[in-house]
Amino acid sequence: MTQSDGATGPLAGPAAAPRRIRIRAGRHAGLIGGCILLGLLALLIFGASFITPYDPLEQRIAERLQPPGLEHPLGTDRFGRDVLARTLHGGQYTLIASAAALGGALGIGLLIGLGAGMMHGTWIDALLMRIIDVLMSFPFMVLALVVAALLGTSLLHLLLAVVAVWWVAFARLARSVALQARQETSYAAARVLGASRIALLVKELLPRALGPVLILATFELGSLILSIAALSFLGLGAQPPAPEWGSMLADGRAHMLQAPHILAGPALFIVLTVLAFNLIGEGLRDRLDPYEQPGWQ
Amino acid sequence: MLKTTLLRLLEALATLLCATLLLFLLIRIAPGDPVQILLGRPGEAGVTDTAMQERQAAELRERLGLEDPVAVQYGRWMERLLRLDLGESIHTGRSVGAELAERLPATAALALAALAIQLALGLGLGIASALRAGGMSDQLIRIVCVVLASTPAFVLGLGLLLVFAVRLGMYEISSAATLARLWLPAATLGLIGAPQLIRVVRANLLSEFGQVYIVAARARGLGRGRLALHALRNSLASIVTVAALSLAALISGAVVIESLFAWPGVGKYALDSIMLKDYPVIQGYALVMIALMIGLHLAVELVYALLDPRIRRQGRRIRHDAV
Repeated sequence: MTQSDGATGPLAGPAAAPRRIRIRAGRHAGLIGGCILLGLLALLIFGASFITPYDPLEQRIAERLQPPGLEHPLGTDRFGRDVLARTLHGGQYTLIASAAALGGALGIGLLIGLGAGMMHGTWIDALLMRIIDVLMSFPFMVLALVVAALLGTSLLHLLLAVVAVWWVAFARLARSVALQARQETSYAAARVLGASRIALLVKELLPRALGPVLILATFELGSLILSIAALSFLGLGAQPPAPEWGSMLADGRAHMLQAPHILAGPALFIVLTVLAFNLIGEGLRDRLDPYEQPGWQ
Repeated sequence: MLKTTLLRLLEALATLLCATLLLFLLIRIAPGDPVQILLGRPGEAGVTDTAMQERQAAELRERLGLEDPVAVQYGRWMERLLRLDLGESIHTGRSVGAELAERLPATAALALAALAIQLALGLGLGIASALRAGGMSDQLIRIVCVVLASTPAFVLGLGLLLVFAVRLGMYEISSAATLARLWLPAATLGLIGAPQLIRVVRANLLSEFGQVYIVAARARGLGRGRLALHALRNSLASIVTVAALSLAALISGAVVIESLFAWPGVGKYALDSIMLKDYPVIQGYALVMIALMIGLHLAVELVYALLDPRIRRQGRRIRHDAV
């Protein structure tokens, strides 16, 4: 993620009105800030074992519902588990699960989108577009509920539901890129030279689609994490005693009166993580959006 | 206009038909025998005679028509759907349609109240930040929006519950659907949805402000407030789209908030049914939600045509990314 930092210089562009420069600096601040925030969070989350000595699953009933202190910086939950350890280790769950779901959606979306674009004008393309239209009328929450009802509640099934919904966005983008690429001479040349369909897909279309699709992915990652956490909060995702942020919050809800502090850790981390991805996604989009917002002239 | 409307209506029906097919297949290919689920339901469990149970299962299979080809089963299911018969709940034995109809008003009230809050915030803050683009208040609104858009609805809801119910005691924790209990879940949903609308209003107004007609109006000496009204009129179409789509998102996404605030709407009902493995309810809920979604999309396209004469004449297809 941090490699985008280096590229900020050239985009400062020629001198413009003072106000515009300020807005641009602000935009970069978002992108850089998002990268730094994400780096810090990743350091905390994946270095969890070095930061806190506690096991996220170990129960010490004698130390249950303790307020934050030196021993337990974020207190303990109703089974006497250290909330900091659970929050940090829980981050690994969230980040890895989201990355896996995103990877799945990305792969399927790219394959189907590029394939459909390549076969534009045939019944395959028409059928795929129809399926995409239908899937778009399935609200995500509803589909996730149906999957959970049919397959049972687990993190894996939740991720399946996420992939089933999220590939559509990538497929549509990939298809539009493929439709554009088909018009280009290099594509025609490759076809004339006898490139197979797979070669066309991998060598001609994929490189073109990868950039825009990855940017969309960064942008979607924030809302993907939000969805996974929300469904886990409802009990449809990671099952106890797994330390997942959403299910930790659902668990802590019962003790909101006596020990509201056990909600603070997971709530803060979830907001900061999504914020980091949103800042990066928005920063990237602003930088690559060719349309400058005109505003007052 | 009439031709466009009919065409859109047909398209929406086709999509709905495909959606029913997809839903039917999804439930058919899922692991788990519906007969086992039916026989294993509470009150009838504890059957020890396996031969007896198998005979019962065969009878039930026959009665439910599970031995027929899948196409015949789909046809029969569709026929019942056309009569608005969504089947019966395994758990209560009552009609799913009636159960859902009982709970829809609570969900609709929540979604509409949230939409009203969202619109007030979206228009107010969106116009304010467009008028002072680049200024302090614009930056502040932008920062608040980014943070709010990164907050899960249930985290904000928990925070509000902590403040208003636990600390201030202003909010009653119960499961009744009364007006006194509506404001907090509605505020949560409204706040969560507001950033998107604020952003759309701001971006649309800014791009209108760059148009020649606004420059001309400014040259004639019109105030910024009047200019904003003119610009708003021209960006109405996209604002209506976002509002309608967020209404769809509010209705289907209300599950989390209904569960958190124990608000007795359809979302909470569906969630409870998952825990009870009450398939007909889930199926009925999903169908109603999908039909609602398709209906809202259709309404958006028609309103679009009404607001924009160019589309009315050409019947240009509007595409928008769903939630």
